[in-house]
Amino acid sequence: MTAPAHPSLAAERTALAWRRTALGLVGGSVAAGRLLVETWGVVAWAVTAAGTVIAVVLLRAARRRRTGVHGRQRSHLDTAAQRTVGRDPGGRLVTACAAALVLLGGAALVVVLTWHG
Amino acid sequence: MDHERPVPEGRAPDERTPDRRFPRWVYGVGTEPDARFSLANERTFLAWARTGLALLAGGVALEALDLPVEPALRLAAAVVLIALGTLAPAVAWWGWSRAERAMRRSDPLPAPVGFGLLVGGVGVAGVLVLLGLLRA
Repeated sequence: MTAPAHPSLAAERTALAWRRTALGLVGGSVAAGRLLVETWGVVAWAVTAAGTVIAVVLLRAARRRRTGVHGRQRSHLDTAAQRTVGRDPGGRLVTACAAALVLLGGAALVVVLTWHG
Repeated sequence: MDHERPVPEGRAPDERTPDRRFPRWVYGVGTEPDARFSLANERTFLAWARTGLALLAGGVALEALDLPVEPALRLAAAVVLIALGTLAPAVAWWGWSRAERAMRRSDPLPAPVGFGLLVGGVGVAGVLVLLGLLRA
């Protein structure tokens, strides 16, 4: 089998995906702050700060979510996937992430609709 | 070996511990799938989340950058993109939970939702920008 078989690789790819998403959020909120600063002044940087805080929270939660998984895998390299990875930590973080992004989208809609009027 | 190790908070050591994972309509059914599949499902959700972020950035940039596009069409395109960017994480969450539930029950994976909407919406936004460029 040529496909990556070990669950630790999947866990690592998932951790990287969380990091990319958080990075996108930071980049987006910095860009939003920069664009809004002419209309909103200091308030625009509050948008940047909020986006960055959300990104940091996501990163920390995602790391804590998978460190236990990773640590365990290293010590049991040959056991079955189910045992080495342990139980899936559930959908709280996924749900929180989706909710935060929906709120962000709503805020962006308000910003764009009130821009010139 | 495992008994000597403190179990990280939030993770049950085995099936005898009460399962309180959220959402219940996903984790309350079926049996635990291969963790790699759950991880892949999570990555799919995250790819959608990033797509949503990119759509939001595109919509906001369209209005913010003062592009030479007819204003009403530009605003319409921006609203379409931002609406898609707002829907994307919601649709992604729906898809994530349905896929996780199907894997737990050993059902076939549900058909993906949102592709048509995404492609159609991006196409509409593109046409609006193109028309706006021609009319400006």
